[in-house]
Amino acid sequence: MATKNVQLPEIGEGVTEGELVNWLVKPGDKIEPDQAIAELMTDKATVEVPSPIGGIVKELKFKEGDVITVGSVVVTVDAVGAGAEAPAPSSHAAPAAAKSPAPGAKLASAQAAAQPASAGANGMEIHPPPASSKVLATPATRRLAREMGVDINGMAGTGMAGRVTRDDVLSARGAGAVSGGPAAYQAPSVPRPAFTGQGGALEERVPLKGIRKKIAENLQMAKHIIPHFTLMDEADVTQLVNMREELKAAGEKAGVKVTYMPFVFKALIATVREFPMFNASIDDAAGEIVYKKYFNIGFAADTPQGLLVPIVKGADQKSLLQVAREISELAGKARDGKLALDEMKGATFTVTNIGSVGGTYATPVINHPEVAIFGMYKIQDKPVLKNGQIGFIKTMNFTVTADHRLIDGAVAARFLKAFIHRIENPGVLMLDMM
Amino acid sequence: MAQKFDVVVVGAGPGGYVAAIRCAQLGLSTAVVEREWMGGVCLNVGCIPSKALITAGHFLDRLRNDAPEMGFKLPKGEVAVDMAQMQKWKRGVCDRMAGGVEQLLKGNGVTVLRGEATFKTAQELGVKSSSGEESVTAKNFIIATGSRPIEIPGFAFDEKLVLSSTGALALADLPKKLVVIGGGYIGLELGSMYAHLGVEVTVVEAGKGVLQGAADPDCVQVVARKLKKTGVEVLTEAKAKSWKKSGSGVEVVVDVKGAARAIKADKVVVTVGRKPNSDQANLKGIGLQVDERGFVKTDARRRTSVPHIFAIGDVACQPMLAHKASHEGVLVAEVIAGKNRAYDAKTVPAVIFVDPEIASAGMTEEEAKAAGHTDLKVGKFPFAANGRAVSMMETDGFVKMIADAKTDVVLGIHIVGPEASNLISEAALAIEMGARLQDIALTIHPHPTLGETMMEAAEAALGHAIHVIQKPLAARKEGAPGLRADA
Repeated sequence: MATKNVQLPEIGEGVTEGELVNWLVKPGDKIEPDQAIAELMTDKATVEVPSPIGGIVKELKFKEGDVITVGSVVVTVDAVGAGAEAPAPSSHAAPAAAKSPAPGAKLASAQAAAQPASAGANGMEIHPPPASSKVLATPATRRLAREMGVDINGMAGTGMAGRVTRDDVLSARGAGAVSGGPAAYQAPSVPRPAFTGQGGALEERVPLKGIRKKIAENLQMAKHIIPHFTLMDEADVTQLVNMREELKAAGEKAGVKVTYMPFVFKALIATVREFPMFNASIDDAAGEIVYKKYFNIGFAADTPQGLLVPIVKGADQKSLLQVAREISELAGKARDGKLALDEMKGATFTVTNIGSVGGTYATPVINHPEVAIFGMYKIQDKPVLKNGQIGFIKTMNFTVTADHRLIDGAVAARFLKAFIHRIENPGVLMLDMM
Repeated sequence: MAQKFDVVVVGAGPGGYVAAIRCAQLGLSTAVVEREWMGGVCLNVGCIPSKALITAGHFLDRLRNDAPEMGFKLPKGEVAVDMAQMQKWKRGVCDRMAGGVEQLLKGNGVTVLRGEATFKTAQELGVKSSSGEESVTAKNFIIATGSRPIEIPGFAFDEKLVLSSTGALALADLPKKLVVIGGGYIGLELGSMYAHLGVEVTVVEAGKGVLQGAADPDCVQVVARKLKKTGVEVLTEAKAKSWKKSGSGVEVVVDVKGAARAIKADKVVVTVGRKPNSDQANLKGIGLQVDERGFVKTDARRRTSVPHIFAIGDVACQPMLAHKASHEGVLVAEVIAGKNRAYDAKTVPAVIFVDPEIASAGMTEEEAKAAGHTDLKVGKFPFAANGRAVSMMETDGFVKMIADAKTDVVLGIHIVGPEASNLISEAALAIEMGARLQDIALTIHPHPTLGETMMEAAEAALGHAIHVIQKPLAARKEGAPGLRADA
C-alpha cells in the first residue's frame, strides 16, 4: 500500500488559496476517487475539495481555520491497490564528474540549462508557460504577455522574421478580452502603510483574507481604474407601490416573494436598451469599448461573510415573476454561503439596494469591468402640494454611478430621467415587454 | 522567541543579497542569513578578487612585453612583484565591495543575521553563531547557498600545499612553480594570471584540450596559442594520481596518456569544478528534492518541491554564474510579492577571463544546428583589422557572429580578444531583442572603438564587411544570400 499526497487542486479561475471551513473526512475513513474531503471558503465562494484518488485517509495536514494555498498537500491517503507514486521526472544523466570539464566550466553550452529547470518539482502549473528560446520577442514584450496571461509560445508574430510585437500581444489579449479581466489584472502599486496602534488588549489583529481580502482588492482596483461620478434623483413611486401590492398576492400564490427589485430590473433593462453604453466594458488592454447585447444583472447582497454579488443571467429574457424567484433564491444562497462561482461571474450591470437597510443616498463603487452601478433606496411618504391641496405620495431615491471615461454627465442625467419616467409609470413597462 | 519575517534569504551572495534587496523594495519584511562573507564567494574569494589579480597580471605582462615597443625604457632587470602589497590591494577591493553590499542591505531595511543556517522545519530556520543560536520563521524562504570547489580523491584541500581556488587567490608569497589540475575556466584564469606574474605553470587536463565544452572551439584555439606563447605547459589527456611533500613544496604524480610523470612544484591548485551546496542546511531533511547532479529541483519560477521555498543561483541550476543568480533573485522576489514571473531569458552571457578574454552569448554553431537551424550565416571579424585594437597593441582574436540563414536572426555571438567581457553585453541585448544581422550592421558604432568589430562581424555574416576583403558584391548573383539589405 502506497501513501500518496493529495494536493489542493485548482479550485477556480484566479483562486490561489482558501480557508479550511471543515473536514468532511477523518483519518481512517475510506474514500472513493472524487469524493469531497473538505469544505474550503475561497475569496469567491465556499467549495468542496475532492480527492482525485481513493483509499484510506491517513493524515489531515491542516486544521480548520487554516489558509491553504493551491498545490499544498492537504491529506495523505493510503492508496489501495495502487502502485507507488510515480518517480519524479529525472533530468539529464551525467553525474558531476570529478574531472573537467567540470559543471562550472560548462559555459557556452549551459545557455539552455537554466531554462527547462526540471519543472514539476512541486506540481504547480505556471501560467502562461515560460517563453521557449525559439520565441522571437523582446524581454519587455515577453513580460507584457505574461502579465496579461497570454501564452506567447506559438504566437504568429507580425514583425520582421516573425517577431512577436507588443501590438501582437495586445491584440491577442483583446480577442479573449473582458471575460478574464480581473484575473489578469496586475494590482496597481499603491502605498501599503503600516498601522501602528496602541497594541495590547485594546486592539485585535486578524489577517486580511478570504472574501474580505478579495473585496478589498476588487474595490481598490475599481477605484484605481475608474473615474466615478454619481447622479441622484427622487421618483414618485405611488403607482409602483400600488402595482406591487396587487402583484404581491399573485406572487404569493406562485410561491414567490415579489419585492421592488424585479421592477427596478425591468425598468433598467428597458432604459439600458436606449443607452447601450451602460451595459458595456472598457477593454483597457486592447483600447476598445465592448458593448454587450446580453443582460446579466448583478445585485449586491449583504451576507455574514461580507458583500457578494449574485447574478440574474439573461434577465431580459425572463418574466418579472421568474426574475423575482431567482433574486430570492440567489439571495438565500448568498446568505448561506452556498453560491457557486459561476453564479457570481459575468455581470454586465449591478444594482445595489441599500434602501432595505437605511440611508437616503449613497455613492456606491462600480463593480469593474462594468461601467455603472445603480442604487435604490427606501420608500418614504412625502407631503406634496397638488392643485392647491396637500397630498401624500410615496417616493423612492435612485442613484446612478457611472464610469466617466465612457459616460458623460448629461448622458447619465438623461438615463436617470428615462429610468424615472418608467418607474413612475410602471404601465409603460408593458410597452417595453418582449 | 523566533523572529518572524515575510521572507528569509539563506546566503548573501550575488543571488541572495539581490533577492533580499528586491524583497525589501517590494515592501516585504526581509532577513538574510550569511555564515561567512557579505557578497558570498563572488565578492570575496571568486569573481572580484580573481579579477583584481588578473588585472595585475595583465598589467605586468603588458609592461614586460609591450611597453618597450611603445617607447618605455624599463630599468635593467625584472619588475619586482610585492605579493604582500598585491594581496593587501586585492583585499581592499573585496572589502570595499562587501561593505557596499552590507550598506545596501541596511539602507533597504533588510535584517542581516550572521551565522550558520539550518532548517529545523520547513517553516523554521535555526541560525547558529558564536553568540548562540536563534530561530527565525518566515512565510517564504529563498535558498541561495551557492556552491563549493569539488575535491578529487587524494587531493584533499589543506589550502597550504593543496589549494582550492580560494587558497590560490590568497597566496602570501609568489610561488616559483604551480601545478594546476583542471583546464576549465577557473584553472586557466588562475594559471594564466600566475604565468603573467612570472610563475612557471603546468596545467593538467583530463580531456583532449583546455576549455572543452566551455567555449566556442575557434575562440579556445586563440587562447591555447597564447598560453603556449606565455609559456604555460598544458598536459592533455592527463590525470593527477597522487602527491607527496617534497621539501617545502609538492611532487605531483600525473598519468599522461598512460605514462607516469612526476612534477615538482611549490603548490598544487585543484580546479575541477564546483558542486552545489545542497547537502547543507538540512535542505533534504525538510523535503526539498535534489537532482542527481546535486541541484535543488525548481520550476521556472525557481520554486522548489516545497511550495513556499525557492532556490536560486548555483544551488539551483546551471550555469553557475553570479549574474544568473542575481537575475533569479529579482525574479523570485517578485514572484513572492505576487507578480507573474517566470524565467525566460534567452541567454546567460558567459565570460572567461583568460588571455585574451573569451565571452559568449547564445548558441555555438553546433548548438544552433542541434536546435534545428540547418542553414547558418557565420561572420567573423578579426581585431587585427580594428583601429582601436591595433592602437592598444591587442590584436589577437575576433568576433564571430552566427545567424539563421533564412531569417538573419542572430543566434550566437562569440568573442575572443581585448575587452571581450565588456563587448558581450551588446550581444546579449541583441539576442534578447531578437535582433537580425541587419539590426546590428545598421546601428552606427562609434569610431575608433573595439565595438566596431560587432558591426563588422554582422556585415561579414551578411557577406560585405568593409574592413576585410570578401568576395565583391558585383560578382554575386542577384538575390544571393547576403545581398538583401533588408529582406
